[in-house]
Formats: sequence, structure tokens, C-alpha cells
Amino acid sequence: MEFTVQQLGQGTAVVRGEGRLNMVSAGELRETVASTVAGGSARIVVDLAAVDFIDSSGLGALVNGLKTARQAGGDLRISAPNEQVKLVLQLTNMERVLSSYPTAESAYAND
Amino acid sequence: MTESGEYTITIATPNDDINVVHDMLEDVWASSPTVSATDRVSFETALIELSSNVIRHADDGSGIHCVLTVGVSDSRIEARLTDTGVASEVDLVGRTMPEAFAESGRGIALIQALVDEIEYVRSGSINHWRISRSRTA
Repeated sequence: MEFTVQQLGQGTAVVRGEGRLNMVSAGELRETVASTVAGGSARIVVDLAAVDFIDSSGLGALVNGLKTARQAGGDLRISAPNEQVKLVLQLTNMERVLSSYPTAESAYAND
Repeated sequence: MTESGEYTITIATPNDDINVVHDMLEDVWASSPTVSATDRVSFETALIELSSNVIRHADDGSGIHCVLTVGVSDSRIEARLTDTGVASEVDLVGRTMPEAFAESGRGIALIQALVDEIEYVRSGSINHWRISRSRTA
């Protein structure tokens, strides 16, 4: 999976992937978030609109990104999860940790 | 409508990765259109967790050979996975989710939340895994 990064405003970036977020692609997500935060954008939205599957490896990459972003004074939020992603978040009790928004643009709209 | 079938693939690491299991399930679901979306999503998530666990932990560096069979019947969906890797030390009893900021350790608990049965047996030099989920209406 290739991830793209789009700047949404000063200090805010959207990371987008497409397909399956599993043990094959989780490392790439970790690296993409880490380099985006290092580049000065600590408020991250991982847009899952085109992600059709996540497993615990993908979830681990999101948690890693959340910690990286918070250490830099920012946050990591997710947008547009599908039903499978919602199920995994619910069963792992991660819904409250990884805040979810309908669209990437709305994730930091009220901050 | 009666719907049953068995589907088998082999997985040889490091050449194959977990995406071969996703691809197999796409074929299984295409041949089993009465399986509900909830059952598909739940079983796929459990099987990917199990297969990933085997690929990650059973391989001592020399590669492993796995045979994965998925069976769909009117009442349930079952997967049997055998591998030539090292014996698993995983504890299947009483698994709970780790703390919120843990980056790993959720796989087995997630499988247990998604299927009715998970079994592991070491026989000779082969690991045998089985998961089974009763189909919902």
C-alpha cells in the first residue's frame, strides 16, 4: 500500500491509503506518520475512506502514530472508517482512543 | 439455498504474504453469496489475525509452509491451518485486550471475540490450528 500525504493547513496533514491495512502495510503507515510529524505536521488525520480492511497490525501502527503525534504536541485522528474497521475498533476497545470523524476535513474543524 | 464448499491454498514464506489469504477469501465469498456481510467481515478478520500470527511467530527464519483450508457449510464457516513452523507458545485461555497504548498483543483476543471455537494442537513437527464461526441469519 502506498500512502499519500496532503497538507490541510499549518501543522495539519491527511495521510491516505488504499486497500488493506495489515502486516504488509502497517510499517509503511508508521513510517509515513513519523516522517510527516518530523516534517512539522503533528496534527494527523489518517483517512480510511479507501481502506477496506484493518487488522491488529494496522491498529498497532495507528497507536504508534498517535503516540508519535502526541509526543510532538499534536494528535492522530481517523476519518471515514468502514464497517470492518468500526468492528475492530469496537472489539478492541479503541473507539475512545482513536477519535473518528466522517471526513478528513472535519477531524480538526472545531479545534 | 444449500451452500457448501471447501477451498485450499498453500502459503510458503517468505515468498507469499498475508495478502494471499485475503485473495483466497475473495474467491470463497464470491462462491458463497448467502454468507452475510457480518459473517464475512468477522471471519476474515479472525482468519487474517490467525494467519498473520503464524507467519510472524512460527517462522524461525528458514521460511514456513502452510496449508489453509476454508470450509463453508449452511451452519458455519471453518478454517484449518497447518504449518511447519516452530511450536506456538501462545496462551489461548483468558486472553484480554492489552492497555490502550499497546502496539501489539490484540490478535488472539480479537480472534476469540469473532469466532466460536479456536483450537491449537502440536502434532509431531506440525502445528494445527482451527477456527470456526457459526453463521448468523
